[in-house]
Amino acid sequence: MTRPSLRPLSFAVLPVLLLASACGGEQDATSSDTPSGDGGDVRVAAVIKGLDNPFFQAMRDGIEAGASDAGVGVEVQAAQSITDTTGQAERLTALAQQSYDCYVVNPITGNNLVQGLAQLPEGTPVVNIDQPVDEEAAQAAGLEIDSYIGTDNEAAGALAGEHMVELLGGSGTVGLVAGVAGDVTSAARIDGFSSAASDLDLLPVVSADWNRQQALTAATDLITANPDIKGFFAANDDMGLGIARAVANAGLEDQISVISVDGNEEALQAVADGDLAATVAQYPYAVGQLGVEACASLARGEDVEAEVDAPVALVTPDVAEQALAAFPQPFEDGAAAASPTAG
Amino acid sequence: MVSATTSTSRDGARRSGPDGADRDGAATPARPRWRERLADPGTWAELAAPVGLVVLVVLFQVLDPTFLTLGNIEAMLAAAAILVVLATGQTFTVATGGIDLAVASTMTFSAVMFGVAFGAGAPVGVCVVVSVVTGLLFGLAQGLVIGYGRITDFIVTIGGLSIASGLALVVSGGQPQSIISTFMLRLSTGGVGVVGYPVLVALVVAAAAHVLLFHTRFGTHVLAAGGSPEAATATGISTRRVKTAVYTLSGTCAGLAGVLLVARIGAAEPAANTQFLLNAVASVVLGGVALMGGRANIAGPLFGALLLTALTNGLTLLGVSQFYQPVAVGSVVVLAAFLSRYQR
Repeated sequence: MTRPSLRPLSFAVLPVLLLASACGGEQDATSSDTPSGDGGDVRVAAVIKGLDNPFFQAMRDGIEAGASDAGVGVEVQAAQSITDTTGQAERLTALAQQSYDCYVVNPITGNNLVQGLAQLPEGTPVVNIDQPVDEEAAQAAGLEIDSYIGTDNEAAGALAGEHMVELLGGSGTVGLVAGVAGDVTSAARIDGFSSAASDLDLLPVVSADWNRQQALTAATDLITANPDIKGFFAANDDMGLGIARAVANAGLEDQISVISVDGNEEALQAVADGDLAATVAQYPYAVGQLGVEACASLARGEDVEAEVDAPVALVTPDVAEQALAAFPQPFEDGAAAASPTAG
Repeated sequence: MVSATTSTSRDGARRSGPDGADRDGAATPARPRWRERLADPGTWAELAAPVGLVVLVVLFQVLDPTFLTLGNIEAMLAAAAILVVLATGQTFTVATGGIDLAVASTMTFSAVMFGVAFGAGAPVGVCVVVSVVTGLLFGLAQGLVIGYGRITDFIVTIGGLSIASGLALVVSGGQPQSIISTFMLRLSTGGVGVVGYPVLVALVVAAAAHVLLFHTRFGTHVLAAGGSPEAATATGISTRRVKTAVYTLSGTCAGLAGVLLVARIGAAEPAANTQFLLNAVASVVLGGVALMGGRANIAGPLFGALLLTALTNGLTLLGVSQFYQPVAVGSVVVLAAFLSRYQR
């Protein structure tokens, strides 16, 4: 009854399926195209990370607002998800054919857009925002990044770490929940937190793929394994909100403090409500705005600074309302003063 | 492509359940004795998930005594509930030799529609219906294209995956919608003893699916169409209708899973839930359901889902590095696929 010839097939089909389905998820990118502003001959193209995360929607909004302020037309394309490296590269390749005057890129990894950027006509200005393009890779491809505007993710993590130490009074067990294992942004935030909070008892890093549901599950498991846990650090707000939910489910709101990074509207509200102890706001809106402004200046032949640090701020419950009111703009007056334009 | 390998090589439509109970003596051999069954590697393929689960539970309990505490069992069951519902729906599509690669995105889309209805001020009951109906309609659309459009399941559902996740983004504007509702909160946190309400929902779905698959004519038709489409057609079974129905079922399960997802995280958001897709397919395979169709059971995928959840839970409890966890999970899935080589 058994047909031996069929056996290897079922063996072979599974990996193929898994592989294909994994790729399938990333194949099509969702693009958000904005009607080009009619003010101007300068056209800017921007390629950013996945719009399935509000962080990058705020970035897109900032880019659009910045473009209309600077009087340039803009086309914003985004990866389908935060892991869609190849799809993002395809977006850039497509835009590269259309000879825009300047390109703003926020690559998912340090390398995934290098090939696409190398195809741009000689001398086309490139502004890199948020996630830095890998320097060695850029050099190898003969690529010049004219300006980098981004948040120092390690510094953001450190800010969270210092606050955690303060909240816990210098000792206690803390769980670390990271994004996709191996992700550069996640690693930088976790590293920053770990070194700033090295006096605390840090548990091994758990990965939750930037996903709220997975973070909820991971946090529940960590609470079970470490009943004396005092705090959690999540590499982004979505995961932080999942952890806060796990903490609430366990009825341990008074024992456990959750801090995350991003400063999304929902997280700011959670800080105001006391579900999150704090979030480190990174102002993707300002980053997008500064990026497109730098691009507009470059396209017009003006000089810009090679590197600009975008604002970072720790949002605790006492300033959460203020931060919410100002969202998506930075709530501290001085914070957004940085300008990419030199002199 | 999957169904193409089925051909007529299988012994007609097998109708043995996981318990080996024969539904139709004409097409199947007499029930084998237990000793013969144990000597048959095919039995081990069927039992891969329950046996693997027991081995894991023993292993983790030895390594970390908190593993089998009530609190942790409760947490594992709650974490597995959504996956069980998705895997149950998936079992039907796989039983026909197809596969629904859009399950997780359909769930996301349904959850987002829940959020839209909630945001518009609809009562929670209506939101639940909206979510389930969204899944049902999306599944129906996929089923119609597969059944009547005669396009490969694999391709249609890959397209469906993209469409559903895109629609979720379009409809939600990419923004999460917080769901503040006592009913949803009670759904996610309440329960009977260690068995939370989502787990009860999952068990009811699984039980209903078991009855549907093994005690109704529809179930027989599903297995027949999967085992040998030609023979099924020859006996007057409409494979088109069967295909349409199984994808509608899978979509409906995804819609229900969407409700559970919203209850679990307290928000409806368009985040990609790729891991649910991979785990749903893996659960079904771990459960001894043949990817070529014609052979299925419900208990297996249920144990498969529990196994995958227990695996992640145990590895986290033990503090295994985030880099090694995917390796462990992948190895278990491949090991199960290896066992399925011996399927009869």
